[in-house]
Amino acid sequence: MTSYQEMFLKADINRIYDEKYRENQRAKVQSNFVRSGNKKIKNKRKKGWFIKGMGIDLPFCLIILVLLIIGMIMMFSASYPVAYYSMNDSYYYLKRQLIFAVIGVAVMLGLSFFNYNKLHKIAPFVLGISYAALVLVLILPANNGVHRWIGIGTFGIQASEITKFAIVLFFAHWGSKYYNKMEFAKYSIIPGVIIFGSTAILLILEPHYSCTAIVFMLTVLMLYISGMKMKYIAVGGAAILAAILLLWITGGLSYAMTRMDGWGQALIYTDEQMWQDTWQTRNSLYAIGSGGLWGLGLGQSRQKYLYLPEPQNDFVFAIVCEELGLIGAVIILLIFALLVWRGITLSLRAKDKFGKLLGIGLTAQIGLQVILNILVITDWMPNTGISLPFFSYGGSSLIMLLAQMGLVLSISRTANIEKQ
Amino acid sequence: MARNYIKYRKKSDVGPNQRLRRRSVLLILLILVFGFGAVISRLAYLQLVDGTYLQEKAVEQQLTDTTINAKRGTIYDTNGKVLAQSASVWKVVLAPAYFKSEEQRVEVAKDLAEILDLDEQNVYEKTQQHSYYVIVKRKIESDTREKIIKLQDKIEKKYGIANLVQLLDDYKRYYPYNDLASSVIGFTGSDDQGLEGIEYQYDSYLTGTPGRIITAQNANGTDMPFQYEQNVEAEEGNSIYLTIDETIQSICEKYMKQGLEDNAVKNRGVCIAMEVDTGAILACVTVGGYNLNDPYTLPEETQKEIDALPKDKQDTATGEALSQMWRNKAISDTYYPGSVFKMVTASMALNEGVVDDSSTFYCTGAMKVGDAKPIGCHVTSGHGTQNFTQAICNSCNPAFIQIGQLVGADKYKQYYEAFGFSERTGIDLPGESEDIFFPGEMSIVDLAVASFGQGIAITPIQMITACSAVANGGYLVQPYVVRQIVNSEGNVIQNTESKIKRQVVSKEVSDKMNKILEYNTTTAGANSGYIAGYRVAGKTGTSEKLTSTYGSEDYIASFCGYAPADDPKIAMLVFFDTPTGTSYYGSQVSSPVFINIMSEVLPYLQVQAEYTNDEIQYVDTVAGAYVGLTVSEAQQKAQEAGFTVTIKGEGEKVISQIPGVSAKIPNGGNVVLYTDNSSDSEKVTVPDLVGYSISEVNAIASNSGVNASLSNAGSSDVVSVSQDIEPGTEVKPGTVVTVKFATSQTLND
Repeated sequence: MTSYQEMFLKADINRIYDEKYRENQRAKVQSNFVRSGNKKIKNKRKKGWFIKGMGIDLPFCLIILVLLIIGMIMMFSASYPVAYYSMNDSYYYLKRQLIFAVIGVAVMLGLSFFNYNKLHKIAPFVLGISYAALVLVLILPANNGVHRWIGIGTFGIQASEITKFAIVLFFAHWGSKYYNKMEFAKYSIIPGVIIFGSTAILLILEPHYSCTAIVFMLTVLMLYISGMKMKYIAVGGAAILAAILLLWITGGLSYAMTRMDGWGQALIYTDEQMWQDTWQTRNSLYAIGSGGLWGLGLGQSRQKYLYLPEPQNDFVFAIVCEELGLIGAVIILLIFALLVWRGITLSLRAKDKFGKLLGIGLTAQIGLQVILNILVITDWMPNTGISLPFFSYGGSSLIMLLAQMGLVLSISRTANIEKQ
Repeated sequence: MARNYIKYRKKSDVGPNQRLRRRSVLLILLILVFGFGAVISRLAYLQLVDGTYLQEKAVEQQLTDTTINAKRGTIYDTNGKVLAQSASVWKVVLAPAYFKSEEQRVEVAKDLAEILDLDEQNVYEKTQQHSYYVIVKRKIESDTREKIIKLQDKIEKKYGIANLVQLLDDYKRYYPYNDLASSVIGFTGSDDQGLEGIEYQYDSYLTGTPGRIITAQNANGTDMPFQYEQNVEAEEGNSIYLTIDETIQSICEKYMKQGLEDNAVKNRGVCIAMEVDTGAILACVTVGGYNLNDPYTLPEETQKEIDALPKDKQDTATGEALSQMWRNKAISDTYYPGSVFKMVTASMALNEGVVDDSSTFYCTGAMKVGDAKPIGCHVTSGHGTQNFTQAICNSCNPAFIQIGQLVGADKYKQYYEAFGFSERTGIDLPGESEDIFFPGEMSIVDLAVASFGQGIAITPIQMITACSAVANGGYLVQPYVVRQIVNSEGNVIQNTESKIKRQVVSKEVSDKMNKILEYNTTTAGANSGYIAGYRVAGKTGTSEKLTSTYGSEDYIASFCGYAPADDPKIAMLVFFDTPTGTSYYGSQVSSPVFINIMSEVLPYLQVQAEYTNDEIQYVDTVAGAYVGLTVSEAQQKAQEAGFTVTIKGEGEKVISQIPGVSAKIPNGGNVVLYTDNSSDSEKVTVPDLVGYSISEVNAIASNSGVNASLSNAGSSDVVSVSQDIEPGTEVKPGTVVTVKFATSQTLND
């Protein structure tokens, strides 16, 4: 009898305490948004599990940090033999990536306080920068036969990193601006074709096919969620399928496959040239296959010993598969899936269209890149340079990635304030 | 939240905001289910389904699996003398998969070709393969190895590729005695595999278990920093002890070579020495063998003949000549045994009881059998009436036709089979041939010629085995050449037990045959196998060749015998194929060789020479009676008898002598003649004569003024082991001291 009463009493006290605490927090959050110029929002918060703290979506932030840490460990594991042999320092890549990660996390947290709405107006300008960068790389001397990098001091950035962001940003801007007119071709398919087409031409000139593919997907994705009529997507999709089918029937596909650095032929090389061309993909497959279900164990990869070239870059996940096996790979992919799911759902809670579209676009981009990266390392897509977010080595792209995540976190702050 | 989505999915609710939500949910599903689903199933397929295959391929490139050749076992003679041995050499292996550029291939190919004396183009082609193991050259010696090591350093410095060129342990077979027992020992091929003889027959024993070194290496061929190395030591092959005795084999080969030359033998010769009780082969010679260290070189004359042939026929001819040269005639060739076979026919007749001492056989010089034309005896005038023993000693063909008829065709065939002629002896050597017997029922003529060893083609090894059965109490044994197999630690893993197949004739028959055949050697005239001091039993044979047409002069001259006749130990068959010298008779061609070999082999085998009273005269001479003669007369008489003379005293006549009358003293011994009593008391001291060679004993004895009678001093390779008068004993000058000798081998043991 008494115990029951006590329990209810305790629960009540807790509730009261909780309410007080939350009120406190709400006041803080509100003041943040008052500062960031968001005046329409009332200080009433949505109820949920992880909404305490700094107002950002904590689960999303944690997923990012978890992926970043796992990615760092695996990148180090994959890269130390290469670093040892080519740089004479096993920690070469780790040290640099660590510095970038620290900068990147700082940028991310900083940007989470940034009012992303300011980007609304400068979106066309950013797209302009993207074009400028894409033209600039074509003028700059080629590196390994491709024009991709813009050097700033010792650091460089891939023009395509800017482009991917610019595309998402621009269409978020466009889609939110003309959200109710998206049914008309004038506002959807036509700008889509123009912007993608012009960007794609510049990307193919680099050449950077995988980025072209991502830009294409992002364009379609952004227009789709903005409300473009399904018939355009259906017609476009049908056209692409028909083209692939035609190529396949005429034998053009296999020709294209061999032309694209022996795509799909890594294990059935027939001549010296092909053997050389498919070296990286073949060794990636060897690495993945060697992992089996449970993997060889962390640090136990053999393929990283100069067999798989540049294991710290695009093919880092092959080493992950070798060391951690299918189990480890699936766990990591599930964390990525969690990130995508959380990112999109939190974006949907954003208070404005721009925030929703931008958040979904930036999150989906990560999902797409993960999928494309693994399709490349498993020889289902041509090996054309597509990195794995949080895992692949690369300072500028990591900072860029974390900055974009910072924007998603900023969006999550508004999502955490319930609309009136 | 999920509830909310369901709510928004309702069609009626679709508005701008709901559209965004709905499309986003679809997008999540698209990315997560299709995208991630596809990716995960692709990974699962690669890791679980293709995993094993891919891992194999990965391991294939990561691990270099190097085979370490095992050292081949040694072949020893029965006393542990090395007949075949493997010594370290190296093989050069290339891992062309490590090449990074065409220039590297060209340059390395050039260097390798130069060092190894190979065709550059050939080596270059090897650099084109995607392999980690291409043999460039085998069996290089240490000087070439040094050069390769330098090249390795150069490659590593220049290109940073280790293990591009590797040196692996290899072994080369050496045969210290070159052509000794070549047809028995055989040789090995380039992969160390046995090709002929023991090397072939016991290949699986001699070949060790190859070892492996498995190392993990990175794509540049240097070892990965972590230790991943698995070493499986190569296991040395087993060693083989033969029954062949190098000493006996050498003696046989020496006299066989001499016999071959003396008789201008066209088609090589065979000598087999067998321990009669066990079947152990003590020596097996195919004379005109080849150098085991260089088995592909033909004798000069043969090579010249081949060179004279048209080009297209040379290869075939060379092949045939080589296989002919390698062929172990002792077991692979068949021949008509001829009169030697009479010992077998005689044994079967005795065992069947169809003949005894009272049997007589009449020879007119020829005998008509059936419808065929009469079969002649070698004594055309005929031997007249002979008893059984005489028939053998006369080697009378008509007598043996009669003996054969007494035995009968069925019994003959039974005994033929019982003596092992219809089966392979099962000797542990490759390439043993089978006999050729009459097809179908034996006709009366077949039986007639078979009785004296014609028309039945057998192998020499069958003949010597049957001869051993005649000698050893009637037991057919299985001949063998491997006495023992020992593993690399020295433990015996296989010991050959002598195998008695069956008893063919009774002990009594065997004893009787021993007496008859001994009688044969002592009475059948010179060169029938008689050796002074030894009781030898044997039979000569001169047989027509299988291929010979009527009237041709191609014969096989053979002698088959054993000693000692009262307790046979060793049987020996000597045969020469197609002698073209002054004689083709077994007694002229083969017996002298047999005698020469046996008179060295028997003392070596510790067979005590037992001289008959007649024989002893040849060994020690008996001192004559010189007392009473004048000094000059006595001196002359003694010197005529072959003695040296020492005269003591000043008198005119000999008053005493040492040794005394009829005392045995060695040929060339010293006779001391006393002419007065003044030096009667003169004494000499007997020296220590043990541990010296024959000549040393003679020298010491004569220096000390005594005579040494040498006992058992059969060969030059002996050492004195005892003397009958103790050293230091005071004796009169000229006293005979008997010194016994034994082979140095025994002393060492």
